Amino acid sequence: MPRRRVARLVAAMAGVVVLAACAGQGGRTGAAGTDGELTVALQFPPRAAYAFDADDGARLQSLGVAETLTTVDDAVQPAPGLATSWEQTADPRTWRFVLRQGVTFHDGSPLTPDAVVTALGHIAGVTAPPRSIRGIGFEIAADGADAVRITTAEPDPVVPLRMSSGNLGILAPAAYAGEAQPSVIRTGTGPYVLDTVNGTDSAVLVRNEDYWGTKAGAARVTVRYVPDPQSRALALQAGDVQFAEGLPVASLDQLRSAGVDVAEYPGARTIELLLNQSAAPFSDLRVRQAVTKAIDRPVLAAQVLSGAAAPAADLFGAAVPWGETAPPPGADVDGAKALLAEAGYGPGRPLQVRLWTFPNRPEMPVLAGAIQSMLARAGIGVEVTVGDYAAQEPEVLAGRFDMYLNSRSYLSDHADATSTLTSDYTCGGSYNIDHYCSAAYDALIDRLPTVTDTAERRQLFAEAARLLTADAVGVMVVHPLNTAGSRGVSGFRPDPLGVRPVLPPLSRTDA
Amino acid sequence: MLGPLLRRLLPLPLVLLAASVVAFALPRMIGGDVTRAVLRARVASDAPGPEVTARVTAELGLDGPVVGQYVRWLGAVLRGDLGIGFVARTPVIDQLGSALGVSGLLTGAALGLAAVLGIPAGVLAARCPGGLLDRGLSAAGVAGIAVPEFVLAPWLVLVFAVGAGVLPAIGWGGPQHLVLPVLTLAAYPAALAAQLVRAETIDVLGRDHVRLARAKGLPERRVLWRHAARLALTSVTSLSGMFVAGLLGGAVVVETVFGIPGVGRLLLDAVLARDLPVVQAGTLVLVAVAMVAGMVAEVVQLALDPVAHDREADR
Repeated sequence: MPRRRVARLVAAMAGVVVLAACAGQGGRTGAAGTDGELTVALQFPPRAAYAFDADDGARLQSLGVAETLTTVDDAVQPAPGLATSWEQTADPRTWRFVLRQGVTFHDGSPLTPDAVVTALGHIAGVTAPPRSIRGIGFEIAADGADAVRITTAEPDPVVPLRMSSGNLGILAPAAYAGEAQPSVIRTGTGPYVLDTVNGTDSAVLVRNEDYWGTKAGAARVTVRYVPDPQSRALALQAGDVQFAEGLPVASLDQLRSAGVDVAEYPGARTIELLLNQSAAPFSDLRVRQAVTKAIDRPVLAAQVLSGAAAPAADLFGAAVPWGETAPPPGADVDGAKALLAEAGYGPGRPLQVRLWTFPNRPEMPVLAGAIQSMLARAGIGVEVTVGDYAAQEPEVLAGRFDMYLNSRSYLSDHADATSTLTSDYTCGGSYNIDHYCSAAYDALIDRLPTVTDTAERRQLFAEAARLLTADAVGVMVVHPLNTAGSRGVSGFRPDPLGVRPVLPPLSRTDA
Repeated sequence: MLGPLLRRLLPLPLVLLAASVVAFALPRMIGGDVTRAVLRARVASDAPGPEVTARVTAELGLDGPVVGQYVRWLGAVLRGDLGIGFVARTPVIDQLGSALGVSGLLTGAALGLAAVLGIPAGVLAARCPGGLLDRGLSAAGVAGIAVPEFVLAPWLVLVFAVGAGVLPAIGWGGPQHLVLPVLTLAAYPAALAAQLVRAETIDVLGRDHVRLARAKGLPERRVLWRHAARLALTSVTSLSGMFVAGLLGGAVVVETVFGIPGVGRLLLDAVLARDLPVVQAGTLVLVAVAMVAGMVAEVVQLALDPVAHDREADR
């Protein structure tokens, strides 16, 4: 009797496994894909239902669904998008953009000046407009049958660059018909048509056969949003998806050995140890310099983060042409101790500080622990607290902290650094956590709105970064690297700035 | 059976009212500026100035007295309006409904599988305590309880998706996407059910009514399943109510590993983004589901246990 029962139980369990296997046959969206079909795993789901006043706008741009008046080229210069040319008019506050001819939206309606005015007028009128047009007195009007005029309150040399922001995507007029958010289904102009949206889980794109430019590489793309990096790596390894972004560094070797093409490229982000200059001890430049000397940034990047980041010598890294690519020096513990002694700290009067950070980015607590150890060698005692960012933010903005390890993109929603340099480091900046205030720095930033020459602007960005380093406003710790993997797919072009379409060039090579 | 059910339903409105206060107050007690958290969830690296923040605060309806906000929210909920999510700006009922459908299917399938595997395993193990089958099933049970989901889930993916290539590693949509998440979620309740049923069955098999049934010459199979196992199931049914609520909103690990858009992930994201309408409504719904599931479990327990049923009927 028991033997029979055992046999039944074993049979039942085997049944479950067989059922599992049977259910899986043909069910893998990627592995059994038809010619020209792709499945991709992306990192960030559309949290705001693809709204243009959220990061979802840039997502629509990278999917190749929505397009903007301009884009940027490899030299980070504005390049033609839905506008083919532009010029500053006699009134320096006004720019005239000539629209591309023969462009139709995915719903069949033509791209006209009125359609552009409707789209950009809508986004300019929302409660929290995108940073690219916030606070500049943005106005837009049709100008003849093929152009629009964009006016700002003051002369603005970077309006063409601003227009490349993914938040300024242009949809068909029908998208803006209702009271609700603009509809993004079949209303863009890009090489892919957004066909189906399944909340924050997935979306389906189909190739726009009437696209004005180079056609997309796949006939159909299933986009899966997978927030967990390890799951994205496993999906790529299993063949569920042919392309995935944001892969964990620990999995890269394994993925390579499984035949995955892995790309590592710079991202426009800096992890910075902000030092509160509104109070002692970091109101003293020598103490800030001592902290900088005590932290071994090359070790943090290469060993603590296992090469998932580049050591930062400056606020800007290799993602932008004006970024500093030379590595910073290693730790100088003796130098740090000497500076601390000058400032009155030493064995008789040890320096004890608090370091706060948050866990949303997994590397932050790891770095905080390593920095704690490095500072201890210089005689600085650090008490680390890993907490909720939203609860910490009012405290740090009010200056009630010592050290804050933060991760921040150094570009705005377009490829220009003015916004970050202003909000984070000027005396009146809205996000000036370290409470840095320098007349020389503010004067330098004040020059930016008047500088039209690209090379000169970049020089000013680099100069501003050098000033921040000289004043030791904080320690620019590392620039995290971006990763992406593809298998059976060609055409991936890394986009460090995150402002260009990623999916359209991809096409299958294994079909 | 209607009486006991109604008796248990009576306090439900009061409990839900208390839950509504907790659901409303708790997310506000975490600290931090709700508006800035919402704006950051929409645009990660934005640092809006005070003017923009004030405008958005007013738009979100957070600029009045908190008591007034609560009264307005409760009134809307009583009218069936769960509000608009702060981040997605779509109706909460749509967000929650979609996620509940996913989690409901996942929970139902996991608990169903757990019952199908765990209950017979427990009864069979109890048939010959200390025997080979008992030891084997106990070992499997201990493993099922001890191995956490964040270990089991990737392991199943490595075996069935990466290794064998017969199941998808991630995603949601077809029946094939259910298999690995359901196996992961079912492991713990199945193991627990097997252990509980085994212990209870061994206990019941020693009771008078079982000895009487055997003395009457009833077949052992009937004694085991009808007279012992049925009573032993009461311990599992009382737990099942808790499992329903726990799995419905608490399967965050499984939802994250397999990329499933369930309630757990929705609420976790909402808490981090201070998406108050979603957090409030989600908490309230989960409390209601937990209460109803608990009540249903109690009623099923009464149906299975004649003694308890008679006691309830006398009240």
